[in-house]
Amino acid sequence: MSWLDGLGHRLRSLLFPGRRAEELEDEFAFHIEQDERHHRLDAARARRRFGNPTVRREEIRATTWGGRLDVIRQDIGHLRRAAFRDPGAVALIVVTLSLGIGANAATFAVFDRAFLRNPAGVHEPDGIRRFWIEHTRTGDGVPFRGPHLSYQMYQVLAGATGQPGNVALFATDFALHLGTGLSGPRVGAVYATSSYAQVLGVPIAQGRFFGPSEDRMGEDAGVVVVSHRFWLRHLQGRSAPLGDSITVGRRRYRVIGVMAPEFIGLDLRAADLWIPLAAMPRSEAAGPRWWEQPADYPFRAVARWPEALGKPGFEERATRLMRSYQRETFKQSADTLQRVFVGPLIEARGPAPLGQDVLIMARLVGVSVIVLLIALANVINLLLIRSEARRREIAVRLSLGIGRVRLVRLLILEALVLATIAGIGATALGGAGGTVLRRLLFSFVEWTEPALDGRVALFTVAITFVAGLLAGIPPALQASRPNLTAALKSGARQGGRERALLQRGLVVAQAALSVILLVGAALFVTSLRKVRALDLGYETRRLVVGTVEHADGDAPAAPAFEARARDVATRMAGVPGVEVVARTSIMPMWGYASTKFYTDRDSAESIPPPWPVYVSVTPEYFDAVGLRVVLGRTLSSDDGTPEVVIDEAMARGVWPGRSPMGQCLRLATRDAPCHTVVGVVGNSRLSYVIEPETTPRYYVRLGQKDIGGTPPGPVILVRARPGTAALVAGELRTELTAAFPGAAIEASTMRDRLNSEYRPWELGAILFSMSGVLALVVAVVGLYSIVAYRVKRRTHEFGIRIALGAMAADVIAHVVRSGVGTVAVGVALGLAISLAGGRLVSSMLFGVSAANPVVLAGVAAILLAAAGLAAAVPAWRAARVDPAIALRDD
Amino acid sequence: MSPHRRSELVPGTLEMLILRTLSLGPNHGYAIAQHIAKLSDDVLQVEQGSLYPALERLLSAGLVKAAWGTSPTGRKARHYTITASGRKQLNAEVSAFDHVALAISRVLGRAEPG
Repeated sequence: MSWLDGLGHRLRSLLFPGRRAEELEDEFAFHIEQDERHHRLDAARARRRFGNPTVRREEIRATTWGGRLDVIRQDIGHLRRAAFRDPGAVALIVVTLSLGIGANAATFAVFDRAFLRNPAGVHEPDGIRRFWIEHTRTGDGVPFRGPHLSYQMYQVLAGATGQPGNVALFATDFALHLGTGLSGPRVGAVYATSSYAQVLGVPIAQGRFFGPSEDRMGEDAGVVVVSHRFWLRHLQGRSAPLGDSITVGRRRYRVIGVMAPEFIGLDLRAADLWIPLAAMPRSEAAGPRWWEQPADYPFRAVARWPEALGKPGFEERATRLMRSYQRETFKQSADTLQRVFVGPLIEARGPAPLGQDVLIMARLVGVSVIVLLIALANVINLLLIRSEARRREIAVRLSLGIGRVRLVRLLILEALVLATIAGIGATALGGAGGTVLRRLLFSFVEWTEPALDGRVALFTVAITFVAGLLAGIPPALQASRPNLTAALKSGARQGGRERALLQRGLVVAQAALSVILLVGAALFVTSLRKVRALDLGYETRRLVVGTVEHADGDAPAAPAFEARARDVATRMAGVPGVEVVARTSIMPMWGYASTKFYTDRDSAESIPPPWPVYVSVTPEYFDAVGLRVVLGRTLSSDDGTPEVVIDEAMARGVWPGRSPMGQCLRLATRDAPCHTVVGVVGNSRLSYVIEPETTPRYYVRLGQKDIGGTPPGPVILVRARPGTAALVAGELRTELTAAFPGAAIEASTMRDRLNSEYRPWELGAILFSMSGVLALVVAVVGLYSIVAYRVKRRTHEFGIRIALGAMAADVIAHVVRSGVGTVAVGVALGLAISLAGGRLVSSMLFGVSAANPVVLAGVAAILLAAAGLAAAVPAWRAARVDPAIALRDD
Repeated sequence: MSPHRRSELVPGTLEMLILRTLSLGPNHGYAIAQHIAKLSDDVLQVEQGSLYPALERLLSAGLVKAAWGTSPTGRKARHYTITASGRKQLNAEVSAFDHVALAISRVLGRAEPG
């Protein structure tokens, strides 16, 4: 019996159902007629013997394809009616779900890029490995793993693999500028051995990659391979770019190849140029044969892994070779416990501890999962309410014989349809959200795919399906097992016990999760506030800093530089909004200089660390940066007398218990002239916003001789009137650019420059605040819906109570108490979890402990108050209904 | 009429009986019903209408085919004919039925253990 048999009949039933129905009519009529005649019955008896023709017709129809189509058509009709019956609830469900799904889609894209996706354009990336070195001999004794190697270590590793041609060494520099000088556009370069192309199998669109003959150590072949984007942007996408020359820094390179568009290097940042390793510029100090320097670790290595080479065996062998190399080279200071590791191509999956940005991504994923869970809990509750409202309809259908399986299938289908609509919204949300996230948090990463690509879409579809199932199954199962007689009775008031328990449980879960997010938000926002409020010693908001940086050898001679800088300072003094202009050698919190110094009795070394460092400044410096004068005065402008100003920390450290005023400081040598201490100023930060110790400071006049040659002051500091800082910064930039063409100029407020230090707390605060508010809104709306529905069903009961003399206030209080009670359980649970998990985040906080009672109490209060409001509004509305109407209500 | 109770038919048996009836020659629905009732001495009383869903299933499976024709009395009627697949199926089902009947009889002690 094959499927083809009877196919004709099945098709005919499907395509010509009308004719089939007629045929059946005729057949039944004939049958009954024959029965009449045969048994000499009257028409009515014959019909009775035949049985119910409608039932038979339906039976027949059910087995045909047309019958099955019927079922589908009916189901679709039900779904459509169900959707339009209560558009408010449907819209709510759809919006809630799409927010939860969208958040995950956005963060998935980001997570995918860092952890799941191999660098684009690499041939068979699973066959490539990265090398990692674990160093034990570190400054603070803590072992540390990293991917960086020296050239000689690379040679040891290449030897250990037995196939040196399969190992590629490379280094990156993303701070280069096109053209001579530092004013050209920024480009990123990869300096690589010629084996790079072979190992990675990178696609070259035009020309070729450089070969071994162009990568001989000690020679500069002057060739470069450019990226697709570089070719479009800086070579105008010319049709024959090969042979063109470009200048980077002080070197010229000839273009010999253009990469295919999909390859941008192995890092998250995009590379523009690939240059032979041999041509890599090294500092003068390294000498002409820089690759023989053992303590220079700018490189990383990857290898095309041969199948035969086992990983643990190789790691042991390489470790042994590396250690013996260490012993030979470093002798006394050898790191004899060094180890070699091999990891996959995706850097974030290597054996080293996760970097800051990857940790941020991990936190992002955690937060979006929590948001999705809250959204799901909410949607399940909303669906439960809906199915409760349709109890009677469902009971009628069941008693008409719909079949429990079909009913469950129908209800789950409903949930899936809602989820799909939400999923469509979520895709759009995910795309937009992903773009925002990228720009906000990961602007330095080169995204090779759009925010909304195939993988993200697939992920969204998968989550939508799972969410729809999870949301639809509990209500469907509950709805299909009702007490039919109770449900059919028009006066029924009882809800299922189980159902109420599930709803309560979901409210508790939502409340708990919301608490977690809100506590996180409060902690991070507080940390951020505290960090920003730290007294750095400077008035950062009014301080504008301008810097000038020249490429090696491009700077004008010291006197000329000095003269031009002084010109700029004088011109800035005339700009409206400028109060004070000063110059210094190094930007505040950027660095310092130090030298030996001697007081009348001791030298600097006899003072306990931290040892004082100095800054060269013009006399206006103290006013410009806002240092407080504690004692005496600041430097005078008289070049003749050597003066020095010290800070409080130095006063305490060098001359404890005495006044430092008038004391002598001799700099560099014991016989240097006496720099007299003329004043003491307040302490200030040396390098970071958060510093456990204060480094003492002293200030000498810029250009003061005999200190061992201070550089000219390339930093201009301007104190601006409040509110004018941005304008002043713009002016400063213009002046500096005019005075120093070809140099890299930066002018901004001190506050802006410090922003990168605040970034971790800012990110935490933004992340948790956004999701915390979202969670709160979703939870409150959900609670409102539940209470509103329950109250509506109890309108009759309330009517009775009020008619019997209860006060409206009592009724409202009763409802609010029960609603808030449930939420309170959730809040308690959430607080417990927050306390337990506090240890996980305490390292990321500042100035506030994870168990801060004010924060916890505040969050609990907000949530309970919101819950109280959400419960009170519908209760109040119900209590206002005229008892007569309420009693009449069916 | 014997006072036997109407026995319930095992599902699928009806189809087998129909096939058996049609293997003797084409017929229309009423005649099939009469034949089954007569041969089984009215023990197996098929509710008249339930014949037609069974016939539909046989049609869908391609075990019988149907055609409109004229009855001996001149009335328009639908005649059913067994197909080759139908015959094959009938043989298979009959031997299967025999096996089961024999096994049941043995269990009940009616036949010799074989």
